[in-house]
Amino acid sequence: MALFITKRLLMALATVLVVAVLAFLLVHAMPGSPGAVSLGAGASREAIDEVNGRLGWNDPLLSQFFRWLGDAVQGNLGTSLIDGRSVSADLGNRLPVTASLAAGATVLSAILGIGLGVSAAVRGGLVDRIVGGICGLAVALPAFWIGIIFVYLFAVQSSVFPATGYVPFEVSPQDWGMSLALPVITLAVGGAAFIARQTRASMLEALQQEHIRTLRATATPTWKILYIHALRYASLPIVAGIALQFIGLFGGSVIAEQLFAMPGLGQAVQTSVSTHDAPAVQGVVVIATVVVVAVNLVLELATKFLDPKLRAS
Amino acid sequence: MKLLNSTARRSAAVLAGALLMSSLTACGGGTQAATAVNKDTLTIAVDSDSASFGFDPLRVADAQRQFFEGLYENLMTLQPDGSVGPGLAKEFSYSADNTVLTLTLKEGVIFTDGATLDAALVKANLDRRSDPALSAYSAIAKGGAQEITSVSVVSPTQVAIKFAKPQPGFEKNLASTMGMVVGKSGVADTASLGKTPDGSGPYTLDPSTVKGNKYVMVKNDKNADAADYAYKKITFSVIQDPQARANALVSGQADVAMLTSPTVDFAKSKGLGVSQIGGTLHTMVSFDKTGKTAPAFASEKVRQAFQFAINRQSLVDALHKGDIAAWNALPKDSAGFTDELNTKFAYDPAKAKSLLAEAGYGNGFEFTIVGSAETQTDLQAVQKDLAAVGIKMNIKMASSTDEAFAAVATTPLGYAALGWDNPVGLMYGVVLNGFTNVQKASDEQLTAATGEAAAAKDDAAKKTALTKLNTRLVESGWMIPLYESLTNQGYNTKKVQQVKFAGSNAYPLLSSYAPAS
Repeated sequence: MALFITKRLLMALATVLVVAVLAFLLVHAMPGSPGAVSLGAGASREAIDEVNGRLGWNDPLLSQFFRWLGDAVQGNLGTSLIDGRSVSADLGNRLPVTASLAAGATVLSAILGIGLGVSAAVRGGLVDRIVGGICGLAVALPAFWIGIIFVYLFAVQSSVFPATGYVPFEVSPQDWGMSLALPVITLAVGGAAFIARQTRASMLEALQQEHIRTLRATATPTWKILYIHALRYASLPIVAGIALQFIGLFGGSVIAEQLFAMPGLGQAVQTSVSTHDAPAVQGVVVIATVVVVAVNLVLELATKFLDPKLRAS
Repeated sequence: MKLLNSTARRSAAVLAGALLMSSLTACGGGTQAATAVNKDTLTIAVDSDSASFGFDPLRVADAQRQFFEGLYENLMTLQPDGSVGPGLAKEFSYSADNTVLTLTLKEGVIFTDGATLDAALVKANLDRRSDPALSAYSAIAKGGAQEITSVSVVSPTQVAIKFAKPQPGFEKNLASTMGMVVGKSGVADTASLGKTPDGSGPYTLDPSTVKGNKYVMVKNDKNADAADYAYKKITFSVIQDPQARANALVSGQADVAMLTSPTVDFAKSKGLGVSQIGGTLHTMVSFDKTGKTAPAFASEKVRQAFQFAINRQSLVDALHKGDIAAWNALPKDSAGFTDELNTKFAYDPAKAKSLLAEAGYGNGFEFTIVGSAETQTDLQAVQKDLAAVGIKMNIKMASSTDEAFAAVATTPLGYAALGWDNPVGLMYGVVLNGFTNVQKASDEQLTAATGEAAAAKDDAAKKTALTKLNTRLVESGWMIPLYESLTNQGYNTKKVQQVKFAGSNAYPLLSSYAPAS
C-alpha cells in the first residue's frame, strides 16, 4: 500500500509540474509583457523596458521558470502586475469560497443523486420513469439558467435567500450557509442528475448479483441489503462520478461566481485574464491543478479501498 | 422490483425531513436578514471593479470619481448642482494671461499616513504627470492639450501651476480624478498605492475589503467634512452581471445599484426608485480622417454618408429599449445640443448613396472595424444599414485588449461610449490630440469651437461655442453618434432618499446619498 501511495504521489507531483510548465509557457506566449501590462497603453518603450528588466522578463526562460518554481514551492506565487498584491494571499482568500461552493454542491448532488438513483433502481416502474425524466431535464438545463430561475423564485419573489454575495464562515456561520444556498443548489442540480443515473445503473447491476439473492433468502433486512451490501457493490462508479463532479464544479464555478457575485477563484481568473495579469493567471492554474490532482489521488485511494480485487492486487 | 420496505421508506422520510428542516431554518434567517434596515451603512452595487488598478486615483478615469471620492479629496470639488467649488484649494486665481493658476490650500488636512497637506505635497503630486500610467494626468503631461510646464511652491499654503498655453477655466478639471491629492507616503512609494490608499477623504478603506468583489469604507474621523456624509460605512459591491445587480437591489443585498436600461422596468415593478440621467453618447468615431487606413475616410462626404445611412431609431428600438436615439454628438442635456441635427441628418439612405457617388464611391467600398462582445450586436445592426447603401463593413472581433487599443491606428472607424461632462477636456484630451486621432488630422472649425468653449466667460458664450462644436463634430463625420444611454441609479426607497445627480455628472456624489426619513 505504501508503495502504491508513493507511486501515486510522484505521479501527482509530475502532473502538477507539467501543468506549471505549460502555464508558464502559455503566459510567456501571450502578446505584451509585464511592463506593458502594469504601465498601461500610453507607456513609453523605455518605461516598459525598465519594468521588464526589473522583473527579470528578459532573462532566459529556464532561469525565469526555476526562479518562479522556487518561490512557488515556498508558497510565493508572485505579485500582481496590476496592483502589486500578493497572488498567494489573494488566492488564499478566494480558495475557501470556490472550495465551499464545489464541496457543498458535490455533497448535495451526491445525497440527492444517490437517493434518486437508488429509488429509481429499487422501485422501478413509474418512479423510475419520473426520476429518469427529471434527470434528463436537469442534465439538459444550463446551470446559469437554473441559477436565474432560483434567484427569481427564492431571492426576488420571496426574499428567502440572498441573491448575491458571500459571507465568510468566521463572520457568521448562518449567513455563510445562506449565501451559499442558491449557488450550491444551482450547481448541484446537474450533478445530482448525473449521479442519479450512475447510481441507478450500478444499483440495477448490483441487485442482480448472487450474493444479494442469498442475503434476501436469509431474511437480511431490506435496508441492510440496499444500503450496506448493494450500494457498496455499486459504489465504485458512483464514487468516481462524485469525484469527477467535484473536479468539474471546481473548474466550472466561474458561472456561479459571476451570477452570484462571489469572490472565488473563477472571478479571479476572469479578472486576471482580462487584465493580462500573468502571475495571477499562473497562480490560479497551479492552484486549480493541485486541487484536481489531490482529488484524483483521493479517488484512487478510495477506489483501492472499496474494491477488494484492487486491494488484493 | 419492490425491495423498499417500510423501514427503508422511514429512512428516506427521515432524510427528507432533515433536508426540509435545514431549508426552513435557512429560510427563517433569510427573511429576517432581508428586512432588517440599517441606516448606518450603504451598499452600492457597481458594474465593474472600482479599483482594478489599485488605489491610486490618478490611474483611473472620471468614471471612478465616485468611488475615490470616499478615499481622497480634490483640489476643487464637484458641487450638488454640477458646478465646481473649493476643495483642498480654498481659493484660486489666474495670471492676467491665464498661463499661471495659483491655488491657496486649506490647512489642517491630514492624510492616512499622518502627513499634512501643504504646497510641496501638491507639487509632488502634479510632478508625477510624466508617469504614463497616470491616465488622469494625460492631458497635463508633456505634449498634452493642457500641458503643465512647471509647478512651484509659492509658500507652504500656495502653489503656482504654469501652463504651456493659456488655460482659462482649468480649475474645473481639478474636480475630477486629476485633482485628487495623494499623501506623502503614497507619492514617495507609488507601488504601495496598489494595496493601500493614502488619502485624506471622508472614509478610509476597511480591512474587510475583498479585491474585485467588495470595497468597504468606514468614516474617517480626521476629515473635517466627514459629517457631510450620512453613512458610517459604505460598501461598493462589484456585480458585473446587470440582472444580478438588479436582483441584489430587489432582494436587499444592495441599497443603490447602477442599472442598465433593460432592467429599469423590472426594478420599478418591484417598487424601487430609479433616478435617470443621460450624458453618455455611444458614438462611432472616425479614427482615420486622412485616408491612411482606408482612403474613402479622407472624404468628408463619405463620413457624412454614414450619418444618413444608419437607422438609429431602429437600432434603439431593437437593442436599447429605454435609451435615446442620437443625431447630436453632445448629449441632450448639454448646452450645445441642437434639434436641428436630428432633422438635418435624419435617416436617408438615398442621400447617403448620393453623397458616396459625389465622393467617387458610387459603387461603395469595404473596410474593417474591430468589435468586442459589448459592441458586436450594435455593429451588426449598423453593418446591415451600411450594406444597404453599398458600404461593406467587416466586423473583426478583438482577440485581446491590446488589439482593441491598436485599432485606433490600424482601422478607420471605431465605436466608443463618451461622457461629455467636460467637453473641452474631452476634445483636447481625446478627440483633437488624443487616442482617437492617431493620424493627426486637423479641423480648423473644431479647434476654433473648442477654443471658444474653453474661453467662454458666460453661459450664452458657452452655449454658442458648444453648439458650433457639436454641429461641426457631426457635419465633419468625426463623430457618428448612434444613441445616448441613460445612467440609471436604482435605490431602495425604504432605505435611501431619492438619488440626485450632480448636474449632468453620471455618478452621484457620495455625500448626496442619505437615509430615507
